[in-house]
Amino acid sequence: MKPLSTWGSSRNPVKFRIPTSDNLLPIRLDIEIDGQRFRDAFTWNPSDPDSEVVVFAKRTVKDLKLPPAFITQIAQSIQSQLTEFRSYEGQDMYTGERVVPIKLDLRVNHTLIKDQFLWDLNNFESDPEEFARTFCKDMGIEDPEVGPAIAIAIREQLYEIAVQSVASAKESRMIKKGRKGFEHIPISKAGGIAVDLVKSFGNKSSVIRKRKEWDVFEPIVDLLSNEEVDALEATEERNAR
Amino acid sequence: MAMEASNVKPPVSAIEEAHLDLYTIPSYSSWFQWGNIHEIERISLREFFDGSSITRTPRIYKEYRDFIICKYREEPSGRLTFTELRKSLVGDVSTLHKVFTFLEKWGIINFSGTVSAEPAEVQQRHKKEVRVEEGAPYGVRVVAAPNSLKPVAPLPPPVDVGGGGGGELAENGSKFPPLASYSDIYGELLQQQQQGKEGKELVLCGSCKQQCDSGHYEHTKDEFLLLCKKCFGNGDYGSKSAHDFKYVDDTNQVVWTEAETLLLLESVLKHGDDWELVAQNVKTKSKLDCISKLLQLPFGDLMLGSALRKTKVWDRNAGQAVPAHSVQDTVTGDDQQHEHKNQGQQNANVEDPGPPHKRLCTVPNLDASSSLMKQVGRLSSVVGPPVTACAADAAVAELCYENRCSREIFDDDNFGDELGYSARTDEEERVLPVENSEGEKGPTVSGASEHRGNGANISKECCTINFANASCNCNFSWCCSCSCKVIGCSGRERN
Repeated sequence: MKPLSTWGSSRNPVKFRIPTSDNLLPIRLDIEIDGQRFRDAFTWNPSDPDSEVVVFAKRTVKDLKLPPAFITQIAQSIQSQLTEFRSYEGQDMYTGERVVPIKLDLRVNHTLIKDQFLWDLNNFESDPEEFARTFCKDMGIEDPEVGPAIAIAIREQLYEIAVQSVASAKESRMIKKGRKGFEHIPISKAGGIAVDLVKSFGNKSSVIRKRKEWDVFEPIVDLLSNEEVDALEATEERNAR
Repeated sequence: MAMEASNVKPPVSAIEEAHLDLYTIPSYSSWFQWGNIHEIERISLREFFDGSSITRTPRIYKEYRDFIICKYREEPSGRLTFTELRKSLVGDVSTLHKVFTFLEKWGIINFSGTVSAEPAEVQQRHKKEVRVEEGAPYGVRVVAAPNSLKPVAPLPPPVDVGGGGGGELAENGSKFPPLASYSDIYGELLQQQQQGKEGKELVLCGSCKQQCDSGHYEHTKDEFLLLCKKCFGNGDYGSKSAHDFKYVDDTNQVVWTEAETLLLLESVLKHGDDWELVAQNVKTKSKLDCISKLLQLPFGDLMLGSALRKTKVWDRNAGQAVPAHSVQDTVTGDDQQHEHKNQGQQNANVEDPGPPHKRLCTVPNLDASSSLMKQVGRLSSVVGPPVTACAADAAVAELCYENRCSREIFDDDNFGDELGYSARTDEEERVLPVENSEGEKGPTVSGASEHRGNGANISKECCTINFANASCNCNFSWCCSCSCKVIGCSGRERN
């Protein structure tokens, strides 16, 4: 159990990390060589030694019988994402009191998911994987690839927000130097606007959502037919080009 | 949010109170009160009570809690899922989930018959066999980029999301190298799993997925690509050609040389039950191979038991094993039994008073139809432990003649001391008569002509005590009765 002092308050900045109980970094690969395209997404533990990257790349190539040219590409891609993550480490993250909406809009094989919910950036005991597990269990999703995809999507958004809060922390430090006792609550630029906490959680309001808003925050899970999948994939390909 | 008159009461006798709805919660949750927040709640969900955040206050907690309970009670027969619930509440989903789990754990919600069905179903799901799917998962795909000149590998047909069986792939005739399947990579592990389950090696054909019984064809370049004889005959090679396959005979797949067997026995004696170490010692054989080989050896499972104990329980005067040079055949199991019984009597005289009047005991009916272990159990319950120990000793000695390796092991050691059989069984003794009745056994491996006895060696002295008329012309190594080492022995032949 983490001591409560790790719940960063608006006064104490916290060192940069993914604000979940496991500091796991989401990695996404999209590599194309010689007409072959390899896509994958998974989580990586940044405290693993870097030698593991090459080992992993080799294993992946061997398992999937990809041409060996992929090894270096995969390793490089992972390594660069890792390095980028590490560049933020050690810097202060100014999470403040922030509850942000996380949005899911993803397609995994035949399952289409749209969802929205709130996530407390200060909750360093949060667990995207547990959320994904509960989600799949409650919605009766059988495809085992959906859960990890959800978790990774959540992590990516959290990562992005964490990165922004590092930038904001820098800004606010500069501002603070000018003004005494100023408390700056950063607003994220992407990933939605942080919830107005006073408005939502203050004594004058109820934390029960209005009924008409329920379906905004309700997950939508669709099972697509083969044709729909093909159509969507074609669209995705076109967009990516 | 008015759920007015719903008193939460612990399970009590049904009182008809029309104006109150009674909901059942477990008695260990009787602390719960609608109007209050109990200490248990304050401790379990302390983040609401420590002022750590504006988003978590006692008021907010109570709102969450009350809403969740009311929501559940709208449909008390069903199970309220977290996902259904969270859309209605403003707050961090992880925190909400914590409240939800708390209430569910204490049975304040979701405490009904359907709840127990749920875990069972979940458990069943977990127990389901691992689905073997062909091909890489779809999230990890290698496709031809558009506009490339290479032909596109058609995507495998989708996995049945409705919970059906494993994905079946049609063989595609693409020019790409086929992506490795789960069974390619983990084929060995799967087989081992099966081995573990069924206790024998399973070879599955890569094409028809049936078990290949007597032999199979193995691809020379890819050792995991196997075809059964039928598929090979059908020409069902997939994308390989017939020449690439070589025939592997399954019938005698695991061959044990003498040296290996010797090594195995030594290792078991030394390491006992630690199969990792045993397999390491016998470098050329796997753990499973070792275990199955040991079981196949006549005294194998005896060793398994004794190796575990490793302590000398049975005290012998001077047990020395010396290779016998000749063994005589005995004729029937009856003799065997008779001797065994007498021997028991002897033993009883020598070592402890034991159950008296053994001679008067009727020999239990050795029903050949009941299992060996049952027979053994019955026999060993009839006689005392020293007797069975002695009998087993004798059995082992006999087996030494049969198998040179074991003799080499047993010879070197002080027989009784080293092996330290505690609760011997009569199994070996049972085994031998069967073998004997099959006819005379040929010479042992060493080539010396030796006779095989029935495991009950008795020295002349002992014999003369008990069998006045006995005479024997063979040379025995030691007496299993008094465990004295004698050069000659008698008592084997019956007139």
